[in-house]
Amino acid sequence: MAGNTLTQSRCSLEGKVIVITSGKGGVGKTTTTASIGAALALEGKQVAVVDMDIGLRNLDVVMGLENRIVFNVIDAIKGKCKIRQAAIKDRRIENLYLFPASQSDNKDVVKPDEMVRFCKMLRKEFDYILLDCPAGIERGFENSIAPADEAVVVCTPDISSIRDADRVIGLLYAKSITPKLILNRIVPDMVARGDMLSHQDVVDILSIELIGLVRMDDQVVVATNTGLPLVLQKDSTAGEAFRRIAQRLNGQKDIPIQIPQSTKSIWKTIGQKLGLGK
Amino acid sequence: MINGSSSEKSTVRLKGVREGLWVTLDPNQPVDILKADLTKLFAQAKHLTHNAHVILDTGIFDAPKSLTDELTRFLKDKFHVESVSPPKQETTERQPQTLQKYDMDHSWRRQASDALIIAGRVRSGQKIQARKHLIVLGDVNPGAEIIACGDIIVLGSLFGTALAGQSDQEDAIILALRFRPIQIQIGGIVAAGLPESGSKTAEYAHVENNAIIVEDYLTSNPFNRFTWPEIR
Repeated sequence: MAGNTLTQSRCSLEGKVIVITSGKGGVGKTTTTASIGAALALEGKQVAVVDMDIGLRNLDVVMGLENRIVFNVIDAIKGKCKIRQAAIKDRRIENLYLFPASQSDNKDVVKPDEMVRFCKMLRKEFDYILLDCPAGIERGFENSIAPADEAVVVCTPDISSIRDADRVIGLLYAKSITPKLILNRIVPDMVARGDMLSHQDVVDILSIELIGLVRMDDQVVVATNTGLPLVLQKDSTAGEAFRRIAQRLNGQKDIPIQIPQSTKSIWKTIGQKLGLGK
Repeated sequence: MINGSSSEKSTVRLKGVREGLWVTLDPNQPVDILKADLTKLFAQAKHLTHNAHVILDTGIFDAPKSLTDELTRFLKDKFHVESVSPPKQETTERQPQTLQKYDMDHSWRRQASDALIIAGRVRSGQKIQARKHLIVLGDVNPGAEIIACGDIIVLGSLFGTALAGQSDQEDAIILALRFRPIQIQIGGIVAAGLPESGSKTAEYAHVENNAIIVEDYLTSNPFNRFTWPEIR
């Protein structure tokens, strides 16, 4: 019994591997990974973000760490360097490390069991390991979900993104991983007009636990181009949403999910309710 | 069917039925003519008449007992038929009904399940195939595919692709509480997805004149006309 307790307590000290996936490309996986990683690090956790998009690396650009890459994740997995050497420390945020992808290899150079072994080593060093999954459901996806304890599915309120997210959710369930949902790029005005699916419609179809609603935010483009973390920008609604998502992932279940509201003036809203104008 | 004579209209007609020989005659004709015509016919079909069971049908007229008795005696003596009897009343009409009653009372107790019943959400990329009928307790998401050789019933929302009656049963139906499929097929007939009708009640698709028609299930009530509950 004593041995059992010991293993259990050691297990709980080990880090958690969370894969951020979506199926479809361009829905904001990389931005989500960078933002949640930064937010968790700001919470005081040791965080590693790993770019799994071998051959098409982006996460380093979004995090503004492009110019500091010497070794990459493939070098670390294949033993060409030490894990510490491949990790790039963020200078603005304490405890945040990036494992960049290799730009010259392709996804087939890594096997799922190699990823499991690699993440097992990372678990000892970090509290959270975030895997930025590539688009698609092929080798890169298999590599990313193989070591994962949890999954976050990023989805935008459009039909094609929902279709792909649904497929990915099915594949994750098949691997006994229960996914959570982030709905990204909501435009409240369009939802109010009925031109965009509401978050209830999306949750109805995907029927998984919702952990965050992120509003369409121009600051995301600014953050991506400048490499300044979104969560450090004071006036960013998306950054704010990602901070709350990180807190929820960190076990603070009581933080309510804020529904993005239209910024229309209250008089206009009342007028619309009364049927005056459009 | 053997007719008495080709030139003149015969008073007697003979045809083979499952129970034996069916003799139709006109009882208003004189007995001698009837006997002569019977002789002509029975002589032609001698190999069939021996020990045969004869049904004497007098059509819409009621034949006097004396006439039928005499003809019975005549046929038994001359052609050695087994028996002669009048036709049963409304035999042809009553038969299917008794069969259905039998079905209703006994048949479905022995019926092993032909339906595949699944509960849960069918997601994009998943494919479910049933040997006969398919019942889904849950939703079918866009991109999912459900296939059945018989009917498909979705107790939930149908957003995906549904193929019923595969591969050639066009009497199959597809029913869903919320009917918004991407595409449906019944038998070999394909119909593309329809815009949402806004109907809040169950709708079903069936084949009519080689086209798939979607109707409100409760108002059209397609199985209302059945006299007995039938096994599908």
